[in-house]
Amino acid sequence: MDLFAELQSAATQLEKVALMCCHAPAVPNGKKANSPTDILRIKEQMSNQCFEMTVKLKAGKSRIPGETSDAEKDVSECENEIEEAKINHCNKTLALHRMQIWQAISEKVKQNDTEAGRMRASITHTLDLCSKIMKLQQESRDLQDEVTEVQKQKLEVKRLTHEKMREMEELKRMREHPEEGKYSKVLQKGQSVLEKYQRMTTITQNVLRGVIIASRINWRDDPKLRDIALGLESMPDCD
Amino acid sequence: MSLKPYSKLPELNTANVLLVENEEEFQKRLSEAIVRQENSVNVTVRLARCLPLPVENAEGRPRIDLVVFIVHLRSEQSLLSTEASLKHLDSGYFLGKVCFLVTGARSGTVSYERLASIKRTAASLNCPLLMTEDKTTEGVHTAAQRVLNILKVSAGLVPMASGLYLSTLIRCSMPTDSDWQNQD
Repeated sequence: MDLFAELQSAATQLEKVALMCCHAPAVPNGKKANSPTDILRIKEQMSNQCFEMTVKLKAGKSRIPGETSDAEKDVSECENEIEEAKINHCNKTLALHRMQIWQAISEKVKQNDTEAGRMRASITHTLDLCSKIMKLQQESRDLQDEVTEVQKQKLEVKRLTHEKMREMEELKRMREHPEEGKYSKVLQKGQSVLEKYQRMTTITQNVLRGVIIASRINWRDDPKLRDIALGLESMPDCD
Repeated sequence: MSLKPYSKLPELNTANVLLVENEEEFQKRLSEAIVRQENSVNVTVRLARCLPLPVENAEGRPRIDLVVFIVHLRSEQSLLSTEASLKHLDSGYFLGKVCFLVTGARSGTVSYERLASIKRTAASLNCPLLMTEDKTTEGVHTAAQRVLNILKVSAGLVPMASGLYLSTLIRCSMPTDSDWQNQD
């Protein structure tokens, strides 16, 4: 803060110099009213304020564009508020009108003349109609409820049917499946046994053919042997 | 209604300072210290809890030359209240007529985020930020002296100087990441 003290003393020196130029005695602290120092000081203060105001005005003119968006946002907010206020006002006016009309009608009904009688009659008629409408609405609502109930039940039944169907299918499958499994096992076993015996038969046939060829007998002459030799080619029937 | 700096004329040899503090505890001692120290010019100290100031006595209120926001780093409320009050200040005040006074920065228990936050605010508004000690008499004395120095300039009592220069010369600089690391 020494800087401030220096600045202040320099400024005071300058002030003194200015006063000397005006050929006026320097009055410390300016206690006397309207002394030249006071006048100088107030002039200084005024010029200071003017200078600051000019700077502020200039700064306001060369506003950065980023700030305008802020202003726009404010404007849109204000517009919204105005709109809301308008709607509010409109609603309130409507309510007021209704109340006024109702007041007028009730005043009119209170008077005992033919018009009032007619109005009363029309009012009772309207009330009757209103009650009827309400009754009908209630009925329709009840019906609607019933319809909904029925629809619900229908859906429930549908669901149950699906469930039952699924159960039946399951049962069916359960009934068929174990038998299938049992039979297939036996079949497989039989097949494997059959294959084994077929292989054995083939080997035996080959051996027999070899024996017949190796014995060098004329198997065509003997009808019994010929049948055997020719039958060797074919498998014996599985059945 | 926001406070406006140029709506009233300056008075001869008079400076008015407004101390804004949420707790209303330090500002009384500071105001006494300020009034006791200054005898060459008439210094008026006005106290407020927060801005905006009431509209009723707006007419009788003199031109406020300097607004000092006192922020206690010990309480979050003080910071929040200051930030809320800043919105009610005319933009003209930020041309060298606002300063922040931070207390309790030396205490190790306060979070650095608060200090960084107030520093950022001060830097973004181009305002000076003074660190002061509010517990000791000398601390209050020094704070009063520093506030007075700034007040005299912003009130236009120092010839050839204006508050506009203050905002460029002694404004707070933006806290950088290295500051953070140093604190840690």
